[in-house]
Amino acid sequence: MRRTKFYPIAAAATVLTLTLAACSGSGDDDSGKGKTLDVWIMKGTNPDSEPFFADVAKAFKEETGATLKVEYVEWADAHDRFVTAIAGGTTPDVAETGTTWTPEFADAGALAPIDDYVKKDNLGDDLVKGLVEAGTYDDKLYGMPWYAGVRSLVYRSDLFDKLGLKAPTTWAELQADAQAIKKADPKMLGVAVPGDAEFTVYPWVWGAGGQVATQSGGQWTSGLDSAEARKGISFWTGLATQDKLSSAGATTWKETDVLDAFANGDVGMAVMGSWTPAAITEKNPEMKGKFAAVPIPGETGGIAPSVLGGSHLSMFNTAKDKDLAWDFIKLMTTGKFAQEWADDSGYFPGQTSLLDKAVKSTDSLVAPFAKQFVDGGASVPVSPNFGAVQAKKTTSVMMQSILSGKSSVDDATTAAAQEMTSLLNGK
Amino acid sequence: MAVTYPTPGGGAARGPSRRGIARIRPWLLLAPALIILGVLLLWPLVRMAMFSLQDYGLREIVSGSTNWIGFANFTEILTSRDLWAVVLPNTVGFAVLSVTGTVVFGTLVALLLQSLGPRTRGFVTGAIMAAWAMPAVTGTYVWVWIFDADHGVFNQVLTSLGIIDQPVNWFTDRWSFYAIVLLNVIHHGFPFVAVTVLAGLLGVPREIHEAAEVDGAGAFRRFFQITFPQLRQVFAVVIILSTIWDFKVFAQVYLMPGGAGSNRDVLNLGVWSYVESFGQNRYGFGSAIAVLLTLLLLVITAVYVRTILREEKNL
Repeated sequence: MRRTKFYPIAAAATVLTLTLAACSGSGDDDSGKGKTLDVWIMKGTNPDSEPFFADVAKAFKEETGATLKVEYVEWADAHDRFVTAIAGGTTPDVAETGTTWTPEFADAGALAPIDDYVKKDNLGDDLVKGLVEAGTYDDKLYGMPWYAGVRSLVYRSDLFDKLGLKAPTTWAELQADAQAIKKADPKMLGVAVPGDAEFTVYPWVWGAGGQVATQSGGQWTSGLDSAEARKGISFWTGLATQDKLSSAGATTWKETDVLDAFANGDVGMAVMGSWTPAAITEKNPEMKGKFAAVPIPGETGGIAPSVLGGSHLSMFNTAKDKDLAWDFIKLMTTGKFAQEWADDSGYFPGQTSLLDKAVKSTDSLVAPFAKQFVDGGASVPVSPNFGAVQAKKTTSVMMQSILSGKSSVDDATTAAAQEMTSLLNGK
Repeated sequence: MAVTYPTPGGGAARGPSRRGIARIRPWLLLAPALIILGVLLLWPLVRMAMFSLQDYGLREIVSGSTNWIGFANFTEILTSRDLWAVVLPNTVGFAVLSVTGTVVFGTLVALLLQSLGPRTRGFVTGAIMAAWAMPAVTGTYVWVWIFDADHGVFNQVLTSLGIIDQPVNWFTDRWSFYAIVLLNVIHHGFPFVAVTVLAGLLGVPREIHEAAEVDGAGAFRRFFQITFPQLRQVFAVVIILSTIWDFKVFAQVYLMPGGAGSNRDVLNLGVWSYVESFGQNRYGFGSAIAVLLTLLLLVITAVYVRTILREEKNL
């Protein structure tokens, strides 16, 4: 509300700079010589991003003759900066957009579709499906899959060895493993069931055969109150409320709190992202070699789908030279540089042919995530309004009210499904 | 026997003002400041009022178009069940308690400081300044850490005393949640009150207190009949500012576990408006909330200022 006051000023300032910039635009030319491509990249994904982009800039200059200008943006301010830039027409030519933002910006009319380019370069069949799904809005592709991570079940392999347990492949096994850990050390959480981490909830909905939300005939319907979804949510929350395998504190935990507790050695099992192992050993070097991952089990086996969280490279409507922008997107998201970025950052590339290496890895912290990524990747409902569902924390409200004992699974899921349906349909 | 002291009068009547340039001169001198205030404060306020009558989202920002919907935003706000059942009671109740708490505690600390020698006073002032200087974000994390369910000091003490037998998550209950916010806000807000009131206290002539003491007035009576009337304006400023700040509490709630919207029982006006407007790119709706909040605070301030002035006249 305070920020509203600043929009006009920011808008005025940006409009002014835009007018000045427009005066200096050069004429149309097939080669990129003398041109500059403005790119926004999120800070922190890759600790070595500056040398990486120095290499990219060199290759880009060789290929097109154009100069690459990269600006690093903090994740925390990125959404606001995009909105302000969109308001003033000062968006970059290409930017990294979080997968849930792509449909939102596309819906607002800020992005340019890239289907024609993808078709021309025959890339369509080689892109990770979950990321294409997340970047498609109104049947047009707006976000080029770049990189992503996925959440799986991470467990303490040292404790499992000591207690003679096996990594769970069904829900019953997961429950039994958690009970065994709790029995061996009552101070530990057998499994962490966080109340403010929506992406750790959906796998249990999907794993039981339920749906978060489906679209038909332009109308969205949330499936959180279906019998299947309730079964999954009952199982997951029951581990905390009935079996007491989680903790009172976990009722208000976010994913970062889960990570801290796991690194601290308090947690036996937790749903965590493929990017977290490095953070865990960085926080607590003693944890090195003491944990492993396994795809999230379905109720009676198989893999429960989990959300692919990552980034697209999106082209903005304001891009002065769209062919040049595409050249950059292609350079980044395919082949050598895509592989190098994934290796440096610990994420998976968005090109299927590049994933084989990770799938074949023998590393117990790479292969299971890669398997989940390829065989059990899913997307949240692809709607520009899903941002509103996340802002209202519909899923977290449901989880927290169940975990704190304020409402039953049936009541909480009914309320959540109603709210999600109305938000997705724009009220 | 009532101990009273005359308040200073309004000053001597002014002489006849001269015409022409003398009348314009003050405005000329004020002009630069007024223009800057107009550009930086007034114009954004006008824009905010304009946005509040529109359905203004990302799409309107991109296209630059307007989308007037009359008072629909206001209707939606005023008919929201969350607002009346949760948000307003939390906001108003909290503001009343925290303003009272901050002012009472701050005043007590000011009285303590007044009675200390210069050296100890400097030391204590330094200590309370540290609480004031601590950013709200840092302070909030410290309180969260103290009341953490699994590792917090508070639960550990209760457990070792045998009061609770398993950890309690204090952040899930509305009352305990706001009790923690209250501690946090009072702790962060009292130094301002203490320092301001102390400055006022030092201006009250010591002889009046001594005279009252000789006449047999106790500490309570001396405070309410000498100190308080003397410091009426100081208290007015302190209370109005505290009310405005405590109405707008955001970080101290948003950063608490469950405070960012995942526990609807603890929503207050700041967090609610953020979640409902910025979180969902509904800038028009957010502006409407801001307009209402501005009006509400103006009313509170006006009523309070009037009461103060009237009481002054009656003296």
